[in-house]
Amino acid sequence: MSREAELIGALEPAQLTAATERALPRRKLGRGMTALLIALRLYIFIAVAIVGYAFVEALTR
Amino acid sequence: MASDAVSDLSTAFAGKAPPLSEEDVARAQDRRRILETRSARRPLRLLWLLAGPGVLAMLGENDGPSMVSYATTGATYGIGFFIPFILLTFVMAFAVQEMTIRLGAATHRGHAELIFERFGPFWGYFAMGDLVFGNVLTLITEFIAIRAGGLYFGVPASLSVGLALLLILSSLAFRRYATWERAAMALAAFNLLFIPAALYAHPSGAALAKAIATWSPLQGGVNAAFVTLVMSNIGATVTPWMIFFQQSAVVDKGLTMADAPQARLETAIGAVLAAIAGIAAVAAASPLFASKVDVSNFSNGADFATALRPLLGTTGATLFALGMIEAGVVAAMTISTSSAYAFGETLRRKHSLNLDFAQGRWFYGAAILSTLIAAGIVLIPGAPLLALTLTVNVIATLLMAPALLLLLLLVNDREIMGAHANTWRANLVAGTIVGALVLAGAAYGVVTVFPNLLGGPP
Repeated sequence: MSREAELIGALEPAQLTAATERALPRRKLGRGMTALLIALRLYIFIAVAIVGYAFVEALTR
Repeated sequence: MASDAVSDLSTAFAGKAPPLSEEDVARAQDRRRILETRSARRPLRLLWLLAGPGVLAMLGENDGPSMVSYATTGATYGIGFFIPFILLTFVMAFAVQEMTIRLGAATHRGHAELIFERFGPFWGYFAMGDLVFGNVLTLITEFIAIRAGGLYFGVPASLSVGLALLLILSSLAFRRYATWERAAMALAAFNLLFIPAALYAHPSGAALAKAIATWSPLQGGVNAAFVTLVMSNIGATVTPWMIFFQQSAVVDKGLTMADAPQARLETAIGAVLAAIAGIAAVAAASPLFASKVDVSNFSNGADFATALRPLLGTTGATLFALGMIEAGVVAAMTISTSSAYAFGETLRRKHSLNLDFAQGRWFYGAAILSTLIAAGIVLIPGAPLLALTLTVNVIATLLMAPALLLLLLLVNDREIMGAHANTWRANLVAGTIVGALVLAGAAYGVVTVFPNLLGGPP
């Protein structure tokens, strides 16, 4: 056994780059979870807009 | 032990030797050392070898904007409510980061990679958008801290930013995760400079103990400034880049579930050290509160150090300024690396600090480009630095809620986590954190739109 092959035994098979380059199967999100993710996304858009407003207001104060 | 979906892929090479990369060999060398140390039953050496991702995530998050937030907190409220509040935020940070350890060690994949693969590009690009937005802004503020610290010592902004840039980019030249990690940890140790700086403020042990026991005093009461500082202090402790960084670093370091106990311990040690340094920054700045110094017009961390000089003495103020520079440098290293990992994972390019430049050109390119952009922006004269610094932490807190929800979904995904999926207790803690972050964000929105709602100055 070559030194490299012996060394590689220290890694779990799933750790090898050849294994991690293969994509995991896609998971389907339920309706409830999708709705929650969309709600949080809307929350982010609104909240970041408010932060932007507060930032600009702080500059003009 | 890999879980179903992960082990299904790893057994795809059954019967024939899988192709090996230089990255595998480098990682295997580090793993071999860990396995030998575990066999020799040397627990402290094992902890030392496995330390890194957690300590760097925690001390890296004690970055420029975080230390300015803590200093602003100390100068505005003194020693009181915010001392136990900061401790609580680090408990939250540990609860979140512990999940990234399990995700990385069980799946051997980075966070961005898992989001794209399991939930598809729609949610993947949103998560990446949040990360890039937050990271670019935060990286800019790291250079603000470096520039501010340099100005305290009379170093021109272009020189201090240039030197920091050289240091940060040089760290990438190691082309070995383990070496980069140890260099970053050595620099991160200087975050503890805030502790001796705080001692020069002669904080009362009784006042600290009373604050921790009673969550008081809260002089000035609850107003818009209070809500902003609550948001800033949360954003100073739990942020999306930490999730992406620690998970990717766990993978790059090659940790497995057998290493999880030590990884948890080193993350807890990092959280304790970072909490002490954060509270020290509050204590160091608290004489400004006692002297009723108005910090609202301060433009950066150098103003804090300068204002503290007559109160802490030259040595105390110098330690404070040096701490600011360290905070900026270490965070710039970890945040630019976090962006690079996520960039490589998203575009399915090689992403590891074990790569040489040719193989990792996309990975290193992302780290170098993001660092150069941030450094360049900071040199633009007249930028509103303190407002930007505090705002960055508020944005980090807002972006944390969706990032945490995706983290929760992944860590509950039994197809990839197997027996290492969250327990109901962990879900209860994480769900409470998501709820608290959303409520804090909503409160911030309300007091921003209606600044007179809570009374007092906004």
